[in-house]
Amino acid sequence: MTITRRNVLLGATAAAALAPIAARAQTSEVVIGVIYPLSGASAQIGVDAQKAFETAADIINKNYDFELPLAKGEGLSGLGGAKVRLVFADHQADPQKGRAEAERLITQEKVCAIVGTYQSAVAVTVSQICERYQIPFISADNSSPSLHRRGLKFYFRAAPHDEMFSTAMFDFFDAMKKKGTKIDTLSLFHEDTIFGTDSGNAQTKLARERGYKIVADIKYRANSPSLSAEVQQLKAGNADVLMPSSYTTDGILLVKTMAELGYKPPAIVAQDAGFSEKALYDAVGDKLEGVISRGSFSLDLAAKRPMVGKINAMYKEKSGKDFNDYSSRQFMGLIVMADAINRAKSTDGEKIREALVATDMPGETTIMPWKRVKFDDMGQNNDADPVLLQYVGGKFVTIFPPQAAVAEAVWPMK
Amino acid sequence: MDKDFARRRRRELIVAFCLAAVAALVPLFVKDVYVQNVMVLTLMYAALSQSWNILSGYCGQISLGHALYFGLGAYTTALLFTKFGVLPWFGMLAGGVLSALIAMALGYPCFRLRGHYFVIATIVIAEIGLLLIQNWDWAGAALGIDIPVRGDSWLKFQFTRSKLPYFYFALALACVAWFVTWWLEDSKWGYWWRAVKDNPDAAESLGVVVFNSKMGAAAVSAFLVAVGGSFYAQFVSYIDPESVMGFQFSLLMALPAVLGGIGTLWGPVLGAVILIPLTELTRSFIGGSGRGVDLIVYGTLIVLISLALPRGLVSLFARPKFFWRKAAVR
Amino acid sequence: MTAETIIQSLASGLLMGLLYGLIAVGLALIFGLMDVVNFAHGEFLMIAMYATFFLFAFFAIDPLLSAPLVAAALFVFGAVVYLLIVRFAVRAKANAGMVQIFSTFGLAIVMRGLAQFFFTPDYRSVTNSWLGGKTISVGGIFLPEPQLVGALVSIAAFAGLYFFIHRTDFGRALEATREDAGAVALVGIDKNRVFALGWGLGAALVGLAGAIMAIFFYVYPDVGASFALIAYVTVALGGFGSVFGAFAGGIIVGLVEATTALILPPSLKSVGIYAVYLLVVFVRPRGLFGSM
Repeated sequence: MTITRRNVLLGATAAAALAPIAARAQTSEVVIGVIYPLSGASAQIGVDAQKAFETAADIINKNYDFELPLAKGEGLSGLGGAKVRLVFADHQADPQKGRAEAERLITQEKVCAIVGTYQSAVAVTVSQICERYQIPFISADNSSPSLHRRGLKFYFRAAPHDEMFSTAMFDFFDAMKKKGTKIDTLSLFHEDTIFGTDSGNAQTKLARERGYKIVADIKYRANSPSLSAEVQQLKAGNADVLMPSSYTTDGILLVKTMAELGYKPPAIVAQDAGFSEKALYDAVGDKLEGVISRGSFSLDLAAKRPMVGKINAMYKEKSGKDFNDYSSRQFMGLIVMADAINRAKSTDGEKIREALVATDMPGETTIMPWKRVKFDDMGQNNDADPVLLQYVGGKFVTIFPPQAAVAEAVWPMK
Repeated sequence: MDKDFARRRRRELIVAFCLAAVAALVPLFVKDVYVQNVMVLTLMYAALSQSWNILSGYCGQISLGHALYFGLGAYTTALLFTKFGVLPWFGMLAGGVLSALIAMALGYPCFRLRGHYFVIATIVIAEIGLLLIQNWDWAGAALGIDIPVRGDSWLKFQFTRSKLPYFYFALALACVAWFVTWWLEDSKWGYWWRAVKDNPDAAESLGVVVFNSKMGAAAVSAFLVAVGGSFYAQFVSYIDPESVMGFQFSLLMALPAVLGGIGTLWGPVLGAVILIPLTELTRSFIGGSGRGVDLIVYGTLIVLISLALPRGLVSLFARPKFFWRKAAVR
Repeated sequence: MTAETIIQSLASGLLMGLLYGLIAVGLALIFGLMDVVNFAHGEFLMIAMYATFFLFAFFAIDPLLSAPLVAAALFVFGAVVYLLIVRFAVRAKANAGMVQIFSTFGLAIVMRGLAQFFFTPDYRSVTNSWLGGKTISVGGIFLPEPQLVGALVSIAAFAGLYFFIHRTDFGRALEATREDAGAVALVGIDKNRVFALGWGLGAALVGLAGAIMAIFFYVYPDVGASFALIAYVTVALGGFGSVFGAFAGGIIVGLVEATTALILPPSLKSVGIYAVYLLVVFVRPRGLFGSM
């Protein structure tokens, strides 16, 4: 190992302070670490993520005629055409393992940046480690709002967080109400891990602020063997809108149980997660005609920006799936990071950080419906406008916000 | 026989001392933080498994719910520190004492249960603890507790990059757990437990004293595991219910002892030294494939070792000892 | 909370409880026979659900029809697991209890890994089966057909098992082996064969449960974990070794789960099940119907 004695001592004595882990010479290769759950209960997410990152690396490393940063020309021009190499690590949804893997990637694999992590709990520890080693971290698809509020200098998130997503939903409700749709009562249905808890908290707060009444607030245990009792209470609440925050497994069971217990809310507005997964629609798509989910990606964009369709096709060839809310954010996470490294013209952590801070990527050069990518002083991109998508006739159409919408919302759902 | 026994005990102590001394020198030569991280985990699991072994191995009360005490230790320390500014060293003590008290309160009704009824009771109790913390908003619920790290400090027991302080703490904890076990082996309690294990009917005649000694074992075991939990909270500097109180932690605590040799002095250490590096390395170097190969390797190993060496890996080294024990009991 | 809510909850709880009983009974049977708890029971369920899914996906065999096939396949699988692993575990000269727990637990990990390797971690579901999504409404109370059929299958399986144990030669051999394995050897019954058949039967029962579950539940490599603990609690609550205990235990667990969710936040509904288990064993250390 090339960790010098000096560095070890520095690390041991002072706060991470001034020590970039090792001087990184300009090489023909830029190594970026990617930390995902590749085994265990959420392994599928990690496997799909791998394909999304490989697609992004492919576009960066080879010459494509897309209006996407780094697509044209091979490799990173700022570093003499250096190629991006990805190193994948498996955190098994365990914060401790995520931490250890981040440390391994930084010290052994010499990665100059890290992208991750799906589970927010793991993002907490991975970003801590990145901070200590002064390695920039892009939280590609974590949506917990607490993540960027911890005063970390090396934490960046290009995508929206749960409060932004939930705000979009309530903006949508307000707009629908103005048009005369009856939306007074809401039912929240959220799982008990970080994702569901955060989402439930954000929605409760927004509902109070904007004068919606929550008639049922069901927090349930993730991966429950049965959701009958929960659905029963949702049914008894009979709200105008059901707002689930569930992963794929519980989402499938929720929809099946609703059908079995004869519960049909006027509308479902879902906090993504399971509701953007192909597996859910394969299983119960027939019962979900008209379901609305928040998202940060929409294939409708392909009409306006042809590259979206082409990149989606590249991803589909690798994974057998269309881009969804997760894989698209993962894809963009790597593009944003690589773009910063390219502009930094260096693989030094501090220089990349400066480049990230200076990022100003117009929305048209991304595959997302975002205004642009520009980080605030906490590393959050506040211009990543979420969209609301409605599942109509076997595919998603964008219904909100108006500037991105291609169709009117069908309300109530069928 | 007695003289032999005394000599063997003294030899064990010397061996342990030498091993600890060698272990203490290792970080001087191994500077890679990833490897150091694996070593810290190995020592921590050795300590946890050693503590678990006191109740489950020596006493024969198989607990698959020790994650409860681990989580209690971690949460007590983290909550006291983040909410009241109490230094982790006091939190560690508080967590240990709290866990020991809870272990005794739970042991009182549970020690009446036998075999699988006891095992399932321990699983279920830990699961209740997990659910309660997961729904307790003040304690962070599912969001967990992010322990702010502001530079290196022995007082706050937090270090940004260096693994050495954690390494030496884990080493000390493992040594303490080993020493407690060593001392118990030759105590009155140790004799009763051995008698009870080999001959359940003897339990009847010993009755109350055995029951009390089991309560003692539960308290000691829970205390040490809780200290391990406090350590983990400081080491990772972030805890959430699932990752410190989940069922898998109870299993991970038991596995080194089971594979190394349950109810033996050296089993947990040996098991941890083999198992933990193996799991870390399989995850790091083949887990990335996303195809579950690491699980297959890991599971196969558990099946094979538990079938081929029911007394654990120590039986490969220490055959004479078992002859001795058999002779003494029969 | 209306009366309708309560009745609906109890009805759903009862149906689910009967299924829990069916999932758990194999565990009770095997334990009764040879004092072994199979810690890979949840993974047996997972394999059965995958088998059902693939029979449906590739050969369009409805889960109701494939249930006997899946049960038969699991029968073979259970017997093989006994012959390859458990047979050696019970022979262990030391720490027999521990060896059983961890050899079957290791098997569980291997099975999950293999499932991930061969079937990928993707979530699968049987869609458009005969019963999928169908439901009967009786006076405002909804009874989903898959669960209803599951409950009926469960009752039939328990009745069949009772008849089988008490009225057939093989059942008597099981009973005799369970009571005194040494003595049956004298009358020419091969203990290993009986045990293998017992494991086969136990696995077949969980296979049946898996086929029904696949109609309304998703399938993925870790799906067994959701049910394993419930199955252990069900069996222990009823009393290890008691087939009737598993039946009663299942119903109790189902009803307690449903009622807890009415009183406490649903995320705590398992606490009700666990608390009832603890209460029962503190009063009756061998469960409700376990032999004292």
